Amino acid sequence: MLEVADRLSDNEALSGVAASTGSGGPAALNAINHWVPHNLVMRDAWFPLAHATGVGKKPVRRAIYSHPFFLWREDGVAVASEFHPNEKQSRASSPFTDARGRYPVMERYGYVWGWFGQPESADPVHLPSLPFLPPNGGLPGHMIGTVRFDCSAPISLENLIDLTHADFLHANITGDEKSESESIETFFDSESITMVRTCTGKSVAPVMKFFSGIKQPTQNIRQVIRIYLRSHCAIAYGRFTPGDDVPLFHPCVPETRDRTRLDYAMNTSHAGLLFRHVMPKASYMVSRQDSSMTSPQSPRYMRDTNRKDLHSRFDAPGQRYRMLMMDIANRQDAGDFAYRDDVSADCSDLIGLRKELFRY
Amino acid sequence: MPDATQQEIWWAVARSEEVTARKPLAVDIGEQPVVLWRDAQGTARALEDRCPHRRAPLSLGCIRDNGWIQCGYHGWMYEGETGRLKEIPNMKDQQKFPPVYRAQAFGVYEQGGMVRVCLDAKATAPTLHDDPLTYVGTAHVSLGHQEYLDALYDDPGLVIAIRGVSFTPYLMSELRNQDGLLVMERSCQWKGLHWPAPFSSDFPLTVLTQTHPVSGETKLTLRDGEMNDLLHAVIAPVPAARGVTAIRWRAALGVRHPGLRGAALRGLNPFSVRGTVDGARLRVTRPSASLHGEDLRNAMCAPELTSEAGPLTPVETVAA
Ligand code: FES
Ligand SMILES: [Fe+2]
Repeated sequence: MLEVADRLSDNEALSGVAASTGSGGPAALNAINHWVPHNLVMRDAWFPLAHATGVGKKPVRRAIYSHPFFLWREDGVAVASEFHPNEKQSRASSPFTDARGRYPVMERYGYVWGWFGQPESADPVHLPSLPFLPPNGGLPGHMIGTVRFDCSAPISLENLIDLTHADFLHANITGDEKSESESIETFFDSESITMVRTCTGKSVAPVMKFFSGIKQPTQNIRQVIRIYLRSHCAIAYGRFTPGDDVPLFHPCVPETRDRTRLDYAMNTSHAGLLFRHVMPKASYMVSRQDSSMTSPQSPRYMRDTNRKDLHSRFDAPGQRYRMLMMDIANRQDAGDFAYRDDVSADCSDLIGLRKELFRY
Repeated sequence: MPDATQQEIWWAVARSEEVTARKPLAVDIGEQPVVLWRDAQGTARALEDRCPHRRAPLSLGCIRDNGWIQCGYHGWMYEGETGRLKEIPNMKDQQKFPPVYRAQAFGVYEQGGMVRVCLDAKATAPTLHDDPLTYVGTAHVSLGHQEYLDALYDDPGLVIAIRGVSFTPYLMSELRNQDGLLVMERSCQWKGLHWPAPFSSDFPLTVLTQTHPVSGETKLTLRDGEMNDLLHAVIAPVPAARGVTAIRWRAALGVRHPGLRGAALRGLNPFSVRGTVDGARLRVTRPSASLHGEDLRNAMCAPELTSEAGPLTPVETVAA
């Protein structure tokens, strides 16, 4: 079944959508057809600003929507300020920091998280659940890294939530599109969306052929993409049978409206020696392949147009992502920054985590 | 003057040999990106270089054995003539798509070693009968389309070069409207020792140019005093993105001019289009033919007269 957004009349038209928030009306169509991700600003959220190991005594500079975040440690404790300690304070502090210009900050899962929004609303309960990362950090350096995308952060996340692209863009790493069956399911609430892609009899990922020693010609895969909407953070968790698990934390930090920073962490601790070391580094090649498409895409979404994107049934999660983002944006425009759903609740079951591999 | 790219012009956006069935070619007509390739029958095809699924450039994709172009992002496949979507990978159950499922298709006409595209898919193709000339090239110059043509009118040496020949500032015949084309003839000298142009009584060569008033496509003929055609060239400047002008050209030698000079002209690359323009020199180049050309163009392109030039009618050799 194909979906053209302008014909969407009710939720049923979005096949694979498992729950309903009552959206699907004109607002939803606007979100899909008039999608200008560059104009979205998500407030009152924790953003993963830096790997914890990247923050020391000397301040490092990060940005959320162009707002400066200087990070350093005082007595080992991370702080986030909108001013560099050497900076002459020539401007008043913003409404997002306290009198000293400090943002709420916390450290978890090996990241320094900064709160962007009303400082009084900062609460660890709004920190996304990432059950495959050690809560106190400590992943070895070869499992973490930084890549940048020359596009708007939601475009990077849209890229991720439609994994059919991997068969073409990343075929040399994750294998081509040949499979016996492919199904896509979507689960969502007001703060997150989860896409589950199941393929049977799919061509084995070359990276697994070479580095995990898979001999069989095909494998079954279950890939989950879970996006925490406000924080622009994604989980990409792949289970390959036969093969290894690939649990990737993939945050897309909106540094500016058209540039995205990704401080990733891939916890391959449980995998064989070779795969454990090689797979996280594949991010460099994979991200350049993604970037070859998202970079030229981004300017084409920068201004509203009457030309509607076309969709297939594989796009149900992507369409839903647009709707949910616009729902939050509309609520925030109306002054409502409250969370209606819990993002820190353990999502292990939802993503189908092999819990025995990740006991923390 | 209206935006040239909006008119019914068959822009020479590529040379035939640049368009293959191996790799799509990205070109543009003004701000409109276009992807070109050859289908299984060898026919050149042109679609908007923008996948209607998620707007990725189709030129980053590949050409299937059956001649369809496949987007490199999620693998949607389009047929070239109509732009219709033919297949979505792993949706074998759904092979009929509603008519809105299509990429924007453009008219294509190939002749004389040039692939021409008209943004109006319904425009009637011209009928041209040009021989493909053997020397070829492509250049991208950071100069707007009209500025480029103005430079060609006022001082051709800024934008083109003919081996062993220098252009003088003196005209045998100023720019005029001849059968819907802007035609002029400029005196030239052989390079080497001779009186400077301002003190020369006679010039041994002329360059005749015939230019379409809107597309700027120009036929160029180098002639000696005996009225021998020594060299022919077609120069096709097309407005491209960001104010760049893309120039495709083809050239061929004509009659052999006797002596060493004639031999020099027959060396490698008798003709070339410069890839860069000397800005310092361009800036102080005084407008002459170009000002006159603007007036002529405005008169020629006044609405009731547009049909005279027509959609790039073939250029007849103009008698002197
Ligand atoms: S953008 Fe072309 S197939 Fe998705
Ligand atoms: Fe990707």
